Amino acid sequence: MQYIFFALITGSTLALAAVGFALVRQTEGFLNIAHGQFMLLGAFVAHTLATTYGLNLGLAIAITVPLIGLAGLATAWLVFFPLRDKGLLAQFFSSVGVAFIVYGIVSALWSGRAIKVFPITSDFSIAMPGFSATAIELGIVIGAWLAVLSLHLFLAHTRVGTSIRAIAGNAELARARGINVRLAIGSVWFVGTALAGLSGILIGLIGGVGIELGWHYILIILAVAVLGGLRTLYGVLIGGLLVGAVIELSTLVVPSKYGVLIAFGLIVVTLLVKPEGIVSVSKRKEASA
Amino acid sequence: MSGNLVFLAGLVTLAMIYATYTMILNFEAGWGGLWDLGSAGLIAVGAYTFAIFTAPQDGIVFAPQQSLIVGWLASIVVTAAVAYIIGKPALRLRGEYFLITTFAFSVMAIELITTESWLTAGSGGFRTITRPFDGYVGSREYNFFLCGLSIVAAFIVYLLLRRLGHSPFGRALRATRENEAAATSVGRNIPEMRLKAFVFAGALFGATAPLYIFYVRSLYPHMFGATLTFTLWTAMVIGGIGNLKGAFIGALLLIGATEATQFLQVSVEHANVLAAARPILIGVALLVVIRFRPHGLLPETLAFRQPRARALASCAQEQRTVTQ
Repeated sequence: MQYIFFALITGSTLALAAVGFALVRQTEGFLNIAHGQFMLLGAFVAHTLATTYGLNLGLAIAITVPLIGLAGLATAWLVFFPLRDKGLLAQFFSSVGVAFIVYGIVSALWSGRAIKVFPITSDFSIAMPGFSATAIELGIVIGAWLAVLSLHLFLAHTRVGTSIRAIAGNAELARARGINVRLAIGSVWFVGTALAGLSGILIGLIGGVGIELGWHYILIILAVAVLGGLRTLYGVLIGGLLVGAVIELSTLVVPSKYGVLIAFGLIVVTLLVKPEGIVSVSKRKEASA
Repeated sequence: MSGNLVFLAGLVTLAMIYATYTMILNFEAGWGGLWDLGSAGLIAVGAYTFAIFTAPQDGIVFAPQQSLIVGWLASIVVTAAVAYIIGKPALRLRGEYFLITTFAFSVMAIELITTESWLTAGSGGFRTITRPFDGYVGSREYNFFLCGLSIVAAFIVYLLLRRLGHSPFGRALRATRENEAAATSVGRNIPEMRLKAFVFAGALFGATAPLYIFYVRSLYPHMFGATLTFTLWTAMVIGGIGNLKGAFIGALLLIGATEATQFLQVSVEHANVLAAARPILIGVALLVVIRFRPHGLLPETLAFRQPRARALASCAQEQRTVTQ
């Protein structure tokens, strides 16, 4: 029971991190390696607000998340929009460049490799025989799924959301039908990066944040996105929960040091056996010609 | 003064090692079109094989303490074998799927090296590396020896790859990258060619991996993180994907620029900012080159220009003889 709850925590944060990544992947078409570094940036900004400036944790998160979204939007406007017609490889490597720059800026501004732990004041917790959960753990799970739910409502029930899905489906057609592509793509970058920031904070709340968080998590996000299928957001959510479950529940069977290894073994097997992901919509062709 | 000279020798050594790896990457990714993000993993396999075979390490189960030549050969064979094991299934995938798979394999290799400490000394790492002719010369002179060795290695790899690039195999490899259907239609077995290229690149990584640990003088899993792979790719993109000289020059420029920051003397509190300047420099270089010189400093010269020119010349010759 306790392990299932741990799996749920890890899985929720992973799903949240990967869903923003998948949103950008679907509309822009390339793997945004900088996504992990925006998680790092979000965690560090929120940490500074909560410690140095002594803000309430909820307020710190509420300020940080839109800020990171704006940073993502600015990056896209500066770097990725001008590269639109230069091909996926150019955009992919530019995102690697952005990742290096954000990583460098964060390590310059926040010196030291020490792990930063968020100050958590609440000591509320639920305890039952064989199960316990602190307020912060419950908050992480609830917060992650609230964010996912609002993303779903945004995509399914707003005009911009509909245009985003139209662009993801067929960009040419969407353009021809007079959809406001600039607005839609802009909001994809804002929302996607803001989600990265939020997931970075939530991950930081569990065990603190180190400077290598971005490089570490971008690998797991790739794993989740591949497992869920690169073409569907809801598959990515399942992928996140699954990878979280594998990492946490595998500790019951094998030593915990093998958790990450097993998760990556899972991706390799998925790619080789079923490259379109567990929740496939179409396009096996895309992966193996 | 002589301190500066030693530093310069170290800088040249590191730049040559990176240039060698970038040229190998250019062979498989630039020419072969195989987007390999697993280079760091293969280099790690080579380096660890060498260290395990040669180092006088206590506390690990398997320490044959062989001669350097045996270690070197083992490094080549094992790395090529690992490349075969990865490439055989992964080469069925294309583009970014291949990229993710090789990336995942690389991460798994590093994870295994970290966890299997009975064989690899785990995260504690190897602190002594057996090096060729160590002790024959003073430790200061050894830097110059290593510098010479790395230049020779880079030169040999350059000549080898240039030869291969101009060979029918190299041209066919580039043809498979450009147009798979056309290459198949003239009778090329594409999966087999790609596997050959991938395994050959693996063998070269294995052959040159020991140089890297001769330079660093120790061996830890975290030396082979994502940063190493991305630095190689950055060097290749800067130099020009598909151009062997470009890969070489790109690596020299990149390492020269990032390591030159060590020359600056700063106070302790600014040392941290200076260390952060390195990734920022790499990132900015990458963005600027992609934006303003998308084909790199030295764009790829057309693979078929020379044969085509020759064909055209002989064609014209024939026509002249006919009209006479």
